Amino acid sequence: MNNKLQVKDFINVGIFTVIYIVIFYACMMLGYVPIFIVLLPIVCSVVCGIPFMLYLTKVKKFGMVTLTGLICGLLMMVMGSGLMVLAFGVVFGLAGDLILKAGKYNGLKHTILGYGVFSLWLMGFVSRMFLTREVFFESLVSGYGQEYVDTLSSYTPTWVFPALFAVTFISGVVGAFLGKSVLRKHFAKAGIV
Amino acid sequence: MNNPYDFKVEKNSALPLDPRTKILLTLTISSVLIAGGHGGIMNIARLCLASIPFVCFLWDRRFCAALIYPATYIILFVGEIALLPHMHGILGNLCLSVVAIFSHMLPGFIMGYFLISSTTVSEFVASMERMHIPQQIIIPVSVMFRFFPTVGEETAAINDAMRMRGIMFGNPMKMLEYRLVPMLMCSVKIGEELSAAALTRGLGSPVKRTNICEIGFGIPDIFAVLICALGFAAFLLTRMTI
Repeated sequence: MNNKLQVKDFINVGIFTVIYIVIFYACMMLGYVPIFIVLLPIVCSVVCGIPFMLYLTKVKKFGMVTLTGLICGLLMMVMGSGLMVLAFGVVFGLAGDLILKAGKYNGLKHTILGYGVFSLWLMGFVSRMFLTREVFFESLVSGYGQEYVDTLSSYTPTWVFPALFAVTFISGVVGAFLGKSVLRKHFAKAGIV
Repeated sequence: MNNPYDFKVEKNSALPLDPRTKILLTLTISSVLIAGGHGGIMNIARLCLASIPFVCFLWDRRFCAALIYPATYIILFVGEIALLPHMHGILGNLCLSVVAIFSHMLPGFIMGYFLISSTTVSEFVASMERMHIPQQIIIPVSVMFRFFPTVGEETAAINDAMRMRGIMFGNPMKMLEYRLVPMLMCSVKIGEELSAAALTRGLGSPVKRTNICEIGFGIPDIFAVLICALGFAAFLLTRMTI
């Protein structure tokens, strides 16, 4: 009974996923220039650390973070970011959930690590650029012109992909610390947490 | 309908499209327009798909939206085609990519907006249940459906309040503190109220939920599905030849 997700938990999932996605989109708009697409995961995962840390104070059961990942992935897929995003969302949502479960959903270390891993789902956006490189760039040529594609591909040699994983993870950890401090400064005072 | 009380279900939209069809349309428009290329048959397919939200708005008698959307789209579309051969250098690339991204994403966004604004939560839940989607996904997604407009309203209200106090855009850390934190606070409060309200109305009860929404496929749905199929066909065709 206690370990199964209740309706209240589902509603929390919905609410915080909305907040997460709204903030996520705001960050994307701030830096929406495709040449900087490789920088997006960094900005997004730092800023989104704040709502996510608040979310994690409500998460006490296994499955909620997985659902968030799944829904984010579904939404992004409907928005046209490809199937990869969905797969990444589910996989890293599940991985983050497992880490959080290992910390019984309140260990500081596990929370921070869990968010770092969860934010790796953002890699789903850029994975198309690396995993199916030829197809992706060819599809861009007709829409954006050869010159743009050349610029983009020279900015993103293949070794950037694993590096991006590391950078995203680190910025996720930074975002988690930021979120924790905001939580302490504002939300604890207001009695929400 | 063997409905003994002959309820008149209040409809949110004059357009008799099933919510599932609207979801399919959104999916098709955004994926074909964003992932698809240009030239040949794709140009026709793009225009056809992009005009779907326009038709929806017209049918729904929302003339304001029906006017603004195509005007914006035409400017972007023409801009993209006219600019493409003349853009060079880093600045040119930046301009081009901004125009291209917006012209690719706009129809999908507008269709998504139409989906959310013309479907009631009850209709949406009913159609998801018809698709046999598990409760674990239906409940969060329907909450999101209800909650997206709320977050927008709250953000606008907070922006007004901050403008009144003279806090403008600037220092990003300040932005986070003055805009994000209040937004999170009221969202959490509203969310708690929302879940209390939903529970009192029996969302978590173990019995099967019933409703009086009239969900079903009609002739407009068949047309819409056909258009989607054609769009995907054009998309696959150009993919093969490239």
